[in-house]
Amino acid sequence: MGMAAGGDVFAGGGDVGRQLAEVAWEQTPLGPPRAWPQSLRTAVSILLSSRFPMWMAWGPQLTFFCNDAYRRDTLGRKYPWALGRPAGEVWAEIWADIGPRIETVLSTGQATWDEALLLFVERSGYPEESYHTFSYSPLRADDGVLVGMLCVVSEETERVIGERRMATLRDLGSDPSAIRTEHQVLAFAAAQLGRNRRDLPFTMTYLFDGDTVRLAASTGVDGHEMPPWPAGEPARGETALVELTGDLPAGDWPEPPTQALLVPLLRQGGAPYGFMVAGLNRYRVLDEAYRGFVELAAGHMAAGIGSARNYETQQRRAEELAELDRAKTAFFSNVSHEFRTPLTLIMGPLEELRSRWAGQDDAVRAELEVIHRNGLRLGKLVNTLLDFSRIEAGRMRAHDEPVDLAAATAELASVFRSAVERAGLRLQVDCPPLPGPVHLDRGMWEKVILNLLSNALKFTFDGGVRVTVGQDGDQAVVTVADTGIGVPPEEMPWLFERFHRIENARSRSNEGSGIGLALVKELVELQDGSITADSTFGVGTTFTIRLPLRAGRVPAAAGPVVSTGADSYVQEVLRWLPGDADTEAGMPAGPPSDVRVLVADDNADMRGYLTRLLRSAGHEVHAVGDGRHALDEARARTPDLIVSDVMMPGMDGLELVSALRADPRTAGTPVLLLSARAGPEASIEGLEAGADDYLVKPFSAAELLARVRANVELARLRNHHARWRTALIDSLQEAFFVCAEDGAVIEINPTFTDILGYGPEGLPYRPVHPWWPDPVEEPQRHQEVADAFTLLVGQTRGSYTIPVTHRDGHRLWVAAAFNRVREPETGRHVIVGTFRDVTAEHYAVQRDSALAALSVHLSEAESLTGAMRGALSSLQDLWQATEVYAVVFGDSDLPAVTTTGPGTSWAALTERQRHTLTVLRGKPLLTPVAEQTGITLEHPDGTMVLHVELAEKRSFTEQDQTLLALLAGRLGQGLHRMHQIDQQRETALELQRAILGPARLPAGFAVRYAPATRPLKVGGDWYDTIPLGDDRIGIVVGDCVGHGLAAAAVMGQLRSACRALLLQNTDPAHTLTALDRFAVQLPGALCATVFCGVLDPATGDLTYSSAGHPPAIVTHPDGATDLLDQGRSRPLGVRLRAPRPEAHYLVPARATLLLYTDGLVERRRQPLTTGIDRLADTMREGRADGIEELATDVMSGMAADAGYDDDVALLLYRHPGPLEIDFAAEPTTLYSVRSTLRGWLARCGVDPTTTQNVLVAAGEACANAIEHGHRHGPAGKIRLWASATAGHLHLTITDSGRWKTPQPAANPHRGRGLTLMRALMGEVTVTTGAAGTTIALQTRIPG
Amino acid sequence: MSTPLTFTTGGTDVLAAAGEIDMSNAATFAAALREARQTAGTAVLTVDLTGVDYIDSAGLAALFPHVEHVRVVANPLLAPVLTIAGLDELTTIRE
Repeated sequence: MGMAAGGDVFAGGGDVGRQLAEVAWEQTPLGPPRAWPQSLRTAVSILLSSRFPMWMAWGPQLTFFCNDAYRRDTLGRKYPWALGRPAGEVWAEIWADIGPRIETVLSTGQATWDEALLLFVERSGYPEESYHTFSYSPLRADDGVLVGMLCVVSEETERVIGERRMATLRDLGSDPSAIRTEHQVLAFAAAQLGRNRRDLPFTMTYLFDGDTVRLAASTGVDGHEMPPWPAGEPARGETALVELTGDLPAGDWPEPPTQALLVPLLRQGGAPYGFMVAGLNRYRVLDEAYRGFVELAAGHMAAGIGSARNYETQQRRAEELAELDRAKTAFFSNVSHEFRTPLTLIMGPLEELRSRWAGQDDAVRAELEVIHRNGLRLGKLVNTLLDFSRIEAGRMRAHDEPVDLAAATAELASVFRSAVERAGLRLQVDCPPLPGPVHLDRGMWEKVILNLLSNALKFTFDGGVRVTVGQDGDQAVVTVADTGIGVPPEEMPWLFERFHRIENARSRSNEGSGIGLALVKELVELQDGSITADSTFGVGTTFTIRLPLRAGRVPAAAGPVVSTGADSYVQEVLRWLPGDADTEAGMPAGPPSDVRVLVADDNADMRGYLTRLLRSAGHEVHAVGDGRHALDEARARTPDLIVSDVMMPGMDGLELVSALRADPRTAGTPVLLLSARAGPEASIEGLEAGADDYLVKPFSAAELLARVRANVELARLRNHHARWRTALIDSLQEAFFVCAEDGAVIEINPTFTDILGYGPEGLPYRPVHPWWPDPVEEPQRHQEVADAFTLLVGQTRGSYTIPVTHRDGHRLWVAAAFNRVREPETGRHVIVGTFRDVTAEHYAVQRDSALAALSVHLSEAESLTGAMRGALSSLQDLWQATEVYAVVFGDSDLPAVTTTGPGTSWAALTERQRHTLTVLRGKPLLTPVAEQTGITLEHPDGTMVLHVELAEKRSFTEQDQTLLALLAGRLGQGLHRMHQIDQQRETALELQRAILGPARLPAGFAVRYAPATRPLKVGGDWYDTIPLGDDRIGIVVGDCVGHGLAAAAVMGQLRSACRALLLQNTDPAHTLTALDRFAVQLPGALCATVFCGVLDPATGDLTYSSAGHPPAIVTHPDGATDLLDQGRSRPLGVRLRAPRPEAHYLVPARATLLLYTDGLVERRRQPLTTGIDRLADTMREGRADGIEELATDVMSGMAADAGYDDDVALLLYRHPGPLEIDFAAEPTTLYSVRSTLRGWLARCGVDPTTTQNVLVAAGEACANAIEHGHRHGPAGKIRLWASATAGHLHLTITDSGRWKTPQPAANPHRGRGLTLMRALMGEVTVTTGAAGTTIALQTRIPG
Repeated sequence: MSTPLTFTTGGTDVLAAAGEIDMSNAATFAAALREARQTAGTAVLTVDLTGVDYIDSAGLAALFPHVEHVRVVANPLLAPVLTIAGLDELTTIRE
């Protein structure tokens, strides 16, 4: 008791409480806990019950106590060693810190408070950096003297260290300047890392520099000699941990690190930049958090280095670009100058030649004109470029002089007059004199006006061009307006941009560099002027130039205003205009070839040149001026080759190629594109559009001719190539097909025909293809193919396996793969696919999965019937059958029918179905019958016919038959196995029934037993009736714990023991008490519950005792219910000594007594009383039924849908039991029979009148039977049987004779006998059979 | 054990029966009735069945030949049987 009381102090202290109880307290100054003062007990109890970490010290040695929370957070390995020890010993390593504080508390009684105090505790095997926020408060003894202190502590190590690391990472990421050099990045990072010398006593950052490693930054090293670091692992991007020794920098700690972590500075998609060495705090373990922190720091540094290097690279690139730009300008400038010299040397002698050949050989003169015109054009381009490079370089100087702007402008405009008029346009010039001069560089002005006029002419097809000069305040205003195509509004902002050209604009020529207007603007601005444009799309464009007017006299015209350069503009413009017939003379025609070439170029000179060149090679040439004409021509007469310029007005070369490729007539015609735009992008664009070749201007005549020849030959070779391709495809082992975009099959190979039976003669095969399964017969298969077809025409590539129908009708499965490709010649998309015949594989897979499905069904089934249903449904799925029938022709008259549909019987089948099934029955076993789509197999009960009723028109192929045979074989085996299992289960149940109750029941009893249903298990429930010596009956219902054979075995022994004990004692309480002793010896019998009673069937007197068993129920004839809940005590074998109680009950007449086990009434989530109430209701409703019928109703009425979870035993008795008398067919026996019946009726509580009625009716029946007995020999026997329900009496009198037909005349009183019976009884039934006559009487019991 | 039945006569016109009348002793009952009728002559014979606890169709059959000349006294237990047999008009029920 002393121990227990002392131990109570630590109750509720959890694990620590238990360990505290183990401490040898008598060896401490505090002594045994039972002697502890109340104050200490209170303090300990407060401590232990708190969930906040606490420890306390008490007494002279400051004995240590703590609670579960403290142990968990802080004590570490010191537990349980620390309990009961002096606090100074427990916390020796930090005593220097905390000792004085405790001293203060004990001497002053004042509490202390420390926040996040750093303490080096040794609780994990090493001195550990830890932080604690705690308060020491004084503890007083019962007399008020200070004897100890209580520490409430919160360990904050995680928080403090976490915040410190977070701060470092935050600082690392707080680089104020966005971009720095690598050096700056490293210096900044080092500064931040250097501020956290607790987590990073030292760091060293190394960068890889080719094969060498250099130290780029370090913190905390402070002149120490550092060891060399292994760079191998970091170089591979891995982190390495290095053990350290010796004198190393210690950071903020007293001792130096013992470990360093080498972390790579990772670069995305490349080798690491370098690595960081981090000396580790020796007072913390390297856990995930620590490692993560170091890696994040390294990550920050790596990112910084990355962005610094990136920035440096970009910087360098920008500088390089600027340098390139400067070089380009210089280059242009130089090159333009360089051009001028040769140009001059060409143009000079050319002039001479022209004048010398004037009026002579036309052909020579024409060639000279071409050279001249193009020489002028080249000169103009060179000059423009030169102007630009001058402006760029800032070297363009305007040589200003006072000019009469009106006169100069009018004269320049007039230069274009003839060209404008030749184009069918009007030129209006309105240039009245201005009041003053404008300071201009004449050369520049000329370029401005000529460029604007040239531009106007280029884009104007109707109307005219108008040039005006006027005054607006102190400005001269010059306008050049046209009625041309105008500029789309979205293009206006770019109008004066250099090299900007408006795409797809209708123009007289596609020539031009796109620098004209840009140059105009530059030139105007060089002369302090401004230029604006105003345009309405489709209406026209007006350019307005404003120049400052100067004071002074307008100078007189000084010499010719227009320079010779103006001629080049006019010449150029004239070349755009029609009517300048292509000169076809010149080169001699070569030997004729049969190659026809179509030339398309908007430039007449180029057109003429190409024509002459190609004719010289003997080709037949047709030349047109733009893409549209070329297309028309090509469609009309397909040429062998088309040579086309890329840049043409209207339809350009690329558009031409696309149009040619889109038209099947011209899709195969080779096209050679010519373009002035160099560079791989341009040629790729051309080739992508479908051009066969691409030639960049300038090109040599020889190169052009070579390319033309090569392309013509290639086109011819292509036919040969096509033959080779066909041979290749034809040799494929797989079927090959090409589909148009709409899914029509347009090409196939012989394998295709071999597999499907459809040959090339039927091409094209348009969807729906003829090999699709019939949509009516096989809607599902048809849909499968339709889905695959959707895939085929909808996706770029894919594969599928589908059922198809061979031309001869047989079923095939093919696996196809397809790919969408662009046909190179036409640019159209086609679908190229292959497939192979996978019919055999398909059926193999189908067979395997069908077998698997069937096996699953068979293995999951719990009975033969279940197995059969499962198997039929899997067959139905397999064939998508409308219904599957299994008919067993067994021993019974009618075959047993199982179907996948709603329940049916042989009689319910149609005549046709019965015929089909009967035909099948006659076939040999396991031989599939195609016509009747069925098979026979062996069922445990006889021959079974399996008939698969297919959807209409669905064929039953050979594969189907093979599969059916295979499945039927498997099903037969399965059913036999299932049958065996059923039998085994039956046997098990029989076994259980055999051991659980008597073979013969006394009259008036009914019993039931049901095993647990799911999973089916026998158990430990039993019932028993034991006839005792004194005509009384022992009745027992019991329930052993558990399930299975073990419980059943225990049950058998308990039942036998109970039976023997009851025979010996005839006293329920004593019997159960003796059974208690038996139960403790029998493993598994403990806690069994038993209801044991002794019934006197004569009186209904029941003595009973219950060992923890649910109460028996008694239902009175009027429906009232009694629960036999007296005499109750504990289950078997529990606390042996107390005597068991016993109770008495008198079972009323015609009442029904029910004993049962809890499985009958126990339901999950329901109180037992609910089940008992329900049971009482069931009994009340069935009280008018016979006892067997009632037993059946109770068992089925109380079961859940899925059956019983637990096994159930029940025993019913209706008082009194039925009466059964056998007597000789002698009149002298009547009296004693009557006496017995009278006594039984009295026990039934029947009133005197009814009793008399029954006696007379029964007497008449017996008398009748005796008469029969006499007639058929002397040894006749008669049986009277009577039973009572709540409200009725039932009697039967059976003899072995023949009923006497009433013959009132011959024997009048016998007829009266029947009349009496009918009058006295509610119901009289006479049944006469070969074996004898039975009279059944029934009457209601009033009351 | 055969069915008990005893007779006593009270004067010339009374036959009192006690016990039970069934197939086994209906002949005895019939004989007793005949004898009592002879004794009673033309007077109405009172057949006192108040001591009879049971009578069935065989017993009733013995009564039928005498219905014009007898009146019956019976206890209530026999009333239903006598009524059904059509003897109620000549029967007095007495406790």
